[in-house]
Amino acid sequence: MNSSPSEFGIEVRGVSRDFGPVRALHDVSLSVRRGEIYGLLGPNGSGKSTLIRILCGILAPTAGSALVDGLPVPGESEAVRQRIGYVPQRFSLYHDLTVDENLAFFAEIYGLRGARKRERQEWAIALAHLEPYRQRLAAHLSGGWKQRLALAASLMHEPRVLFLDEPTAGIDPVARRELWNLLFELAGKGVTLVVTTHYMDEAERCGTVGYLYLSRMLVSGRPAELLRLPDVTPRGMRRYEAECAAGAAAVMGSARGLAYVEDVTIFGNALHLLVDGAPEPARIARDLEAAASAPVQVRPIDPSLEDVFVRLTKLASQAEAEPAGAAR
Amino acid sequence: MKGFRAILRKEAIQMARDEGTLRFAIAVPIFQLCLFGVIDTNVKHVPTVVYDQSRTVESRSLIRDFENTATFDVKRFARSRAEMREEIVAGRVATAIEIPPDYADRRARGVPADVLVMIDGSDANTSGQALSAANGVALSHSIEELLARTGGEDLPLRVFPQILFNPDSRSANLLIPGLVAILLTFSGTVLAAFSIVKERERGTLEQLMVTPVSPVGLVLGKLIPYLALGFLQLIAVLAIMTTVFRVPIHGNIFLLLGLSVAYLFALICMALVVSASAATQIEAMQRAQAFLLPSIMLSGYVFPLSSLPEWLRVVAQVLPATHFIAISRGIIIRGAGFADLWPHVAALLIISALLVLASTRAFRKTLA
Ligand SMILES: Nc1ncnc2c1ncn2[C@@H]1O[C@H](COP(=O)(O)OP(=O)(O)O)[C@@H](O)[C@H]1O
Ligand SMILES: [Mg+2]
Repeated sequence: MNSSPSEFGIEVRGVSRDFGPVRALHDVSLSVRRGEIYGLLGPNGSGKSTLIRILCGILAPTAGSALVDGLPVPGESEAVRQRIGYVPQRFSLYHDLTVDENLAFFAEIYGLRGARKRERQEWAIALAHLEPYRQRLAAHLSGGWKQRLALAASLMHEPRVLFLDEPTAGIDPVARRELWNLLFELAGKGVTLVVTTHYMDEAERCGTVGYLYLSRMLVSGRPAELLRLPDVTPRGMRRYEAECAAGAAAVMGSARGLAYVEDVTIFGNALHLLVDGAPEPARIARDLEAAASAPVQVRPIDPSLEDVFVRLTKLASQAEAEPAGAAR
Repeated sequence: MKGFRAILRKEAIQMARDEGTLRFAIAVPIFQLCLFGVIDTNVKHVPTVVYDQSRTVESRSLIRDFENTATFDVKRFARSRAEMREEIVAGRVATAIEIPPDYADRRARGVPADVLVMIDGSDANTSGQALSAANGVALSHSIEELLARTGGEDLPLRVFPQILFNPDSRSANLLIPGLVAILLTFSGTVLAAFSIVKERERGTLEQLMVTPVSPVGLVLGKLIPYLALGFLQLIAVLAIMTTVFRVPIHGNIFLLLGLSVAYLFALICMALVVSASAATQIEAMQRAQAFLLPSIMLSGYVFPLSSLPEWLRVVAQVLPATHFIAISRGIIIRGAGFADLWPHVAALLIISALLVLASTRAFRKTLA
């Protein structure tokens, strides 16, 4: 595996893509090591699917260049197709074919025949634990099983790079965990993966995460590095969690009104506060209790990945608004 | 051609599993065939009212002569002209015959007798045939009398008409060979176009685009099953036509089958054009309509080409159905051979080539 010329499975340099007047991607760069899972995050419409389509060679970039498994796209798209697998955001297998028929079809499309085809089919069935559903029409599978089937189908030709566009959207937590276990297994075999997701727990499991916002790559790096970014918790600020017996919503408004509170986010029953200066936790609790007329407990915390993205998004939209007429 | 066999197999499985499509492909032809097999556009037994003021042996003989043409069927008798008119307005009868009180008298004296025939003009076909039948009755009566009076034996001019190929002028013999062409447009163009558009609509095309399947392999693999389906339909329709409706095939059936492949190919190319730019099945259906309606109305299937104005006849020439109807009627009714039909075959091939060109351009755009 390491005999390949580059240590990177994917390298993207300054890729942009326009749809008429809409700029879907702006000057995006990233690189993914072989055997690494790259998590691509960002709000809806930020350009995640567009980036994946470009890397799959079905959409041409307006500007910039990209190498997938060492080959340029879209230049070498034909050769790249043999080396990549793609699980689109929408389920894209045939509803009116059975699990077996879908897998056989994709094996044949990639030119597999006879014993080799059967061998790959059995391997995919075993990997995705699809044995009990072999004769079932894809239309009759539940969301989680559909995704396993889609993953299995995209692996028939043993791709070296795999793209998954929101593979866990709308499936239950157990199915989600199991799908991720499969992804780790593949990464362990040297497959390079790019996964888009909205789930922070999934992002935390990725080797590298990138956050797209308004078509730009806002930040990219290892999750642990991102938590320590100076912009996330600027010098002199601290993060606290405030838990209120009356519920987080009861103190949300008053927390916003406090002069020293820079940022508030609800996390389940608690609030996450970004606080300017050094008020004691007891003081914050007192201020909030006054508003909620219920006991409040405040304790210092480290930022989460979600805090990172929320904070960076806020800074980016402020930067967007401030320099008037900033061209985009 | 990469991926052709895989696509072909998949498409065949999907087609066999799609009961709606199959039912559509089998039931529609059989239904239409039965309908057109029993329809007869020859006018017979037109309901007729008679106002006989003469009430004599002569007048009754005239009424019988009208009935003997098989065009008129005397349903009732009226007692005034106004009553006759009313019967026609009410739609109970389509013709009315009024015989004057002095009919027998004038015939006996050899003076012209006037008989009034009123015809409902709301159906041009019926009124036209009733008119010529009425004229025929009058003419043959008059000639008989004139010949009797002059003592002559023969008419100065006689025409011996001979209708070739369809001596009874049965409508089925004309309609069914045309129907074959129209039926095939459904499976050849509509169903085939749907099968491509469905891949786009359901997102499966996006998945296929990241595989090494070639555009040619994809398109051929998807369309050939529909070519086969159309061919099976053709054979079924021809079998029912000859056995149930006893429309004989005067020419070579293998020539007909062979040339129908050229037609099916043109239809499939049309499917490509229809599906190339349509994002949904509804859009594809609308586009297909723009092709189907002229194919039905202008191809000579419903109206004879000779009844079209000049510019519509030009439009008719670019429709594949026009040429295939000419081919199938030629072979089935007249027993024509390839030497007679090759211009139509050439036209089908040229149309196909142009359609392929148009669709590859459109397809490139959508796959880009
Ligand atoms: N085929 C397309 N035509 C026009 N606009 C598009 C097309 N695909 C994506 N876009 C636009 O590009 C932007 C990014 O979309 P997308 O990549 O799908 O975002 P995400 O996957 O992050 O939700 C959106 O504004 C979207 O409307
Ligand atoms: Mg998306």
